[in-house]
Amino acid sequence: MDDKQLDDLLADAARTYRVPPTPPLDAIWARVEAEAFAPVTVRRGGPGWRVLVAAIAASLVLGVAMGRYTTHVNAAATVAAANPAAAPTTANTGTPAQQAAAAPYERSTEEFLGSTALLLAALPRNGSGDQTPTLLPEQAAQLLTTTRLLLDSPVGENPRMKALLQDLELVLAQVARLQPRREKVTLTLISQTLEERELVPRIRSAVADLSTYEY
Amino acid sequence: MPRAAIATSFDPADDERSLIAKAVIGDRVAARALYDAHAARVHRVAYRICGDADLAADLTQDVFVLVFRELPKFRGESAFTTWLHRIAVTVSLNAMRKVKRLRQRETDLDEARHHEHESGDIDPDLREKLNAAIDALPEGLRLALVMHTIEGYTHAEVGKALGIAEGTSKARVFEARARLRQALGGFMTDLEER
Repeated sequence: MDDKQLDDLLADAARTYRVPPTPPLDAIWARVEAEAFAPVTVRRGGPGWRVLVAAIAASLVLGVAMGRYTTHVNAAATVAAANPAAAPTTANTGTPAQQAAAAPYERSTEEFLGSTALLLAALPRNGSGDQTPTLLPEQAAQLLTTTRLLLDSPVGENPRMKALLQDLELVLAQVARLQPRREKVTLTLISQTLEERELVPRIRSAVADLSTYEY
Repeated sequence: MPRAAIATSFDPADDERSLIAKAVIGDRVAARALYDAHAARVHRVAYRICGDADLAADLTQDVFVLVFRELPKFRGESAFTTWLHRIAVTVSLNAMRKVKRLRQRETDLDEARHHEHESGDIDPDLREKLNAAIDALPEGLRLALVMHTIEGYTHAEVGKALGIAEGTSKARVFEARARLRQALGGFMTDLEER
């Protein structure tokens, strides 16, 4: 085969090689328009999930550090006044310093509960046929981190809040591990847990009672 | 946006640069005009790379979403077509690597062949043999050949799109042609003896 013959063949191939079926250009445009020109109101309305969860986590870490520091200082001062030889072993609850240290927890817990309630509301109901938004597992993973931080903080010392956080930890772990192939099974389990443990009403109740908690 | 709306509001005298400027500030009519001018070719390139009609449609969507998002960064240093097709090829190749559908494309090709335009000059068996030989080329050679010889890109454009030197593109096309010649040689001899 010479170059001329191959050129002829390749010229033919330009017309015949993998000629696509007529593309659905209008349908493709509709999707392009929806995605590329979608209003960005969600982003403008407030910080994104990552920012929000990072802020909650950061304030918790800061709160834990402040709490431990002030508790340690107060306990040491109290014990030192009563018995200079004794080592500080317990926290001095209810002091103004401790109440001030509790403020970041209250705000972080409130934000965390609000974000978690939003996430649970965004979950497709069992059997609804809706697909799980792809970001939910990632958001759940971030909230799971916050849950564990809260459990380790003075918030976790309140028995009622501790029970709620432990239940949320379980649900968030399930959402974080949602996989498309086993989604139906997992969503059923999550729905059962939400109903059996009455999680959403308990979140509402916890938010309402937050200001009365003492950490 | 329906085509009828475009027909009344789009001035055909607008050149591409003007359309780009308008699309950057969110003018959907201008954006649609750019899309109409290039979508079919982007889809064809995507299809020729991936060999799957549904995937090609998805890739076309991804390409234009990316194009309209990145349009403010387009400085006009290269032609818009070059920039657009570089994105198209990059998106298509990345998708192919991700979904690993290269190995599945043979099944789709049977369907694709139903859509091929018939041409009276070439023996149908020879055409089929040629298409199979192109598909059998190593991916790097096939892409260079398809983009340059079949799609009509310059070697410089192929080089930019594939991230290779212009000279490498030339070498790949040369090698691809040699392999095709070798693959079809025996068949051509048989054909001439018929």
